[in-house]
This record gives sequence, structure tokens and C-alpha cells, in this order.
Amino acid sequence: MPKAGSYRSNSVIYFQGDIADKVFVLQSGKVSLNYNDIETGKLIREVIQTGEFFGVKSALGRYPREENAVVLEDANVLAFTVPEFEVFTTSNTRIILKMLKVFSNQLRLIHKQVENLMSNPSALNAETGLYRTGEYYLKNRMYSQARYVLGRYLTYYPSGKMSEQAGRYLEAAETALSRYGDGKGPAPVLSSSSVSDDKSRAYNAVSASAPAPAPAAPSDFSPSAGGSLSDTAKDYYNAVSLFSQEKYKEAFSAFKTITESGDSSEYLAKAQFDMGRCLFAIGQWDMSIKHFTGIIQSYPKHPDMADMLYIMGQSWDKKGDQGKAKAFYSKVLSMSADDDSSARIKAKKALNALGGA
Amino acid sequence: MADLASFGRFARTYQPGEIIFSEYEPGDSFYLIQTGKVRITKIVGDIEKNIDILSAPEIFGEMAILEGAPRSATASALDTVKVLEFNRANFEILMMGNPQIALKLLKVFTKRIYDQKRRFMILTLDDPQAKIADVFLMLDETQGTSNPGDEQGDKREFRVTIDDVAHWAGMNSSDVQALLGHFAKQRRIDLFADKIIVKNINDFTRFVNSKRKK
Repeated sequence: MPKAGSYRSNSVIYFQGDIADKVFVLQSGKVSLNYNDIETGKLIREVIQTGEFFGVKSALGRYPREENAVVLEDANVLAFTVPEFEVFTTSNTRIILKMLKVFSNQLRLIHKQVENLMSNPSALNAETGLYRTGEYYLKNRMYSQARYVLGRYLTYYPSGKMSEQAGRYLEAAETALSRYGDGKGPAPVLSSSSVSDDKSRAYNAVSASAPAPAPAAPSDFSPSAGGSLSDTAKDYYNAVSLFSQEKYKEAFSAFKTITESGDSSEYLAKAQFDMGRCLFAIGQWDMSIKHFTGIIQSYPKHPDMADMLYIMGQSWDKKGDQGKAKAFYSKVLSMSADDDSSARIKAKKALNALGGA
Repeated sequence: MADLASFGRFARTYQPGEIIFSEYEPGDSFYLIQTGKVRITKIVGDIEKNIDILSAPEIFGEMAILEGAPRSATASALDTVKVLEFNRANFEILMMGNPQIALKLLKVFTKRIYDQKRRFMILTLDDPQAKIADVFLMLDETQGTSNPGDEQGDKREFRVTIDDVAHWAGMNSSDVQALLGHFAKQRRIDLFADKIIVKNINDFTRFVNSKRKK
């Protein structure tokens, strides 16, 4: 049975660094979780609502508490051991679902913060990485694995940087598989020469390759990997690939097609955002501002809000209007810390470069 | 797990060696193993490295909740594998009917958040040597030593390569190699092909703390 406990104002339920074994629920009173933001070092006070659980992550993960739980007004709490918490929540699945949502948002945020500190955004590397993975399997005569990965490459990036080469590799893998079987036959000769790319190496120790442009068109093949991905998703990744190749005008049209397809998936919002990025990339500052303004008016809760405001700030900056630029950067910083923090860091830098708010 | 019978429409079977998803592939589904073993690998340099081998009732691919983020590793079937495949659209149905799985996923997320936060702490250190030292502290905290039975005082042994350390520190391998060489020269670590021995983990703790901005 969970134990009820009473705490006086100004007492502490647990300290940062304590070894965790209990999950708490606030029944009455006021409790605040105090901790320093890992990015800014700023002290954050998160007030717990009545009925809300706290101390869940550290108890479940069995790692030290990450915050001080300070009682602001006399409080009654219920303390669950982990097994008690498990029994309780398994009969109240809604609670777990709610926590899953909170945790997945936290995970997204911290993931983004980590990505932001890495030298290279993963999105640009994914295409090369997938190609190199297929190449690796082919080289090591793991033909069915090569066939899967190259098939996926061509599904996601039909007009990608390495699509011709990937087509030929796929054909080679198919041929070797039917002729020799997995792991057998002569080692396939690969034509691409490895050119080291420090940025991608720093990211994951995989060197990027720049294959020589192939004179021959790939013969027709059908990627054998079944696609569980929707057509919109494929179109979207292809457009992203065009963007990463700096083919901004083509990327713009590709994103536009997605927004006009009537598909209401998450890719619609992403594509809208990316259209604005394309406009910015080709130096259409006015168009980019207009585009983002339109999105913000129709979707005030757009997931990429902070990034949009940042790019709008950049656009004004490029147009020479530092006052407006500053206003937009400040707006990014005034948004809640839960929102996209890579935009915050960039906005802060940009604002400092302009001599502060 | 009898209540999973009604989720037959999400069931998938993979033959030995078959890839479930590839590293770098954008992913929008995650998996619950019902039978068989799943191998998680990553190609590092010219070697496909084993990261983990999973079996029922483990979950993998859960980072698919990061919308379109590329997979960080390859998952393939080690023997005949049966899994349930889920995505964001049908995830709630599964979780509502299977609180045990929901709880499991909650724990997986908890660990991922902790790992990522710890990683963030490493990356925010300015001093490259401190970053590397902090990678060992993290490994010591989360994985424990590879020989927990005979934990000899402050000495720790880690089954990691230079590439692993470089990956965690967000640095390139050649820089990490140089800095590890420097540590070895100072007799703070011993370098082997398949492991790295830290002679005094407390020495690294003090070093990292002195470099961390307060």
C-alpha cells in the first residue's frame, strides 16, 4: 500500500542526488521541483499540480534524483514504491499514456539539444549514411542485406545524389544473390572512391563518399523492399534530399506539391515550413517573411514556430532592418523553454551579434 | 501476454538474417519482440559492430517517436523473429489494451532521456580532454565495469574502442586517439585493442568537475 506522508512548508521531500526508490503523488498543498537547466544553468522551478505524479523518471530508471522537491505550502503526498506504482498504473493505463506523452516530448527536446551540439545535423547525413550502409553490405557479400538497404535508399531518395550508383549496386546485389547466394562468389568491385569528409566523420565515424557520376542510366529495377512508408513520406524525403543538394527551387516545388496534395499528415506542416526555408535559401527574403507570416496566422501552434520566427528574423536582418530582426529573435527567446531550443541558441547568438535586445 | 492475440494484424515475421530496419533509414514504427532474437548493429569504419541482442518481450526502434529521425542502428533477425509493429497512429490502441507494454515503454523512455541528458553534459564541456574523461565517467555510471565481480578500488576496465569514445564525445577519431595517447603517456589509462583501462576513476571525476562550469 502506498504510504501517506505530510510535509511542512519549506521542508524537502527529496534532494538532488538522492538515490531514488519512490514515486510521489501530490494530494494537497504546494510542491516545487527545483533544478538547474542543463543548457543555461538557470534555476527552474516547476510547480506540481494536485494529483500530479513526481519523481517518476529517477525512480523507474533507478538513478539519482535530478531535482530538489521543495514544499512551498504544507503538503500531503502519497509515496509509492516502484512495484506499487506499477500495479497502480497498469490498472490506470491513461496515466501511463499521459506520462508517455510527457516523456516523449522531453526525449524529443533533449535529442534536439544534443543534435544541436554535434558538428553535423543528422538529416544531411542520413542519405549518405544509408547509401554507405548498402555499399558496406555489398562489399561484404551480404547481398540480401545490401538489396534491402539499397532498395530503401532508392525508395526514399529516388533522385538523390547517389541514386544512379545505388541502382547499379542494387542490380549487382540481385545478380550476385541469384548467381552465388549470400556470402558467396567473388567480392564485388565497387566503383566509388572514398573521399573523406571530416564533418560526417566527426558525427559517426563513417566517411562519406562521393561516387563518380555514372554515364549509364540504371537499368529498370524494382526495389524489392516493401514500403511501409506512405507516398507522402517518400515525397517528403525526396524533397529534403533536393534541399540538401541545394536544389532549392526544385525542393520548393516538391514541398509545394505535398502541401497541395490534401494529405493531412504531419508531413504537411513540415513541407510548409520547408517551403519557407527554400525561399530564404534562394534569397527571397520578402517572400520568406510573407510565407511564414501566412503559416503563423493559420497555425499559431505550428511545431516549428521557433525556427520560423528565427528565419524571419534572419530575413529582416538580410534586408537590413536590424530592429525588426531583433524583435523576431527576442520573440524566439520569449517562447517557453520547452519549444525548440536549437532555434533559441541560434536566436541568442544572432541577437548578441546585433548588440543585444 | 495472451492479450496480444488480438493484435495479430500488427504481427510481422522475419527470417534469419533479414533486416528489420537499416541504420540511417527514416523510421516511423517501433517493435515489440514476441519470439526470436534481434541483433542490433552499427557499421563503424569497416566493421559491423554488435550493439545488442534482444529477445521477447523487449521493445526496439522506439526512437521512431522522433518523427523522421534516421535510425541510429540496424536491426536484423538473428533467428526466425516474430514482432508486433507499431507506429504513432496505432500506438495508443496497443498501449490502452496492454498496460504492461506501456509501462515497459515508459521505462525505456526514462532511460533514453537520462542517456541523452548525460550525453548533453559531455558535449557541453569545452575542454576536449575533459569530454573524453567524462565519457568514461558516463560509461562507469550507466554500464558499470565490465568485471563487476572484482572491482579493484579505483581501477575500471571498459570494453570500448577509440571510435566508441569518439562517438560519445562527438569528436573525430584521430583527435580522440591523440588525446587518449596523451592520457596513456601520463599513465592515467592503458590502451588495448578491445578495451581501455582507467587506472583511477576518481582522478577523472576530479578532473571533469574542475572543468565543468558552475
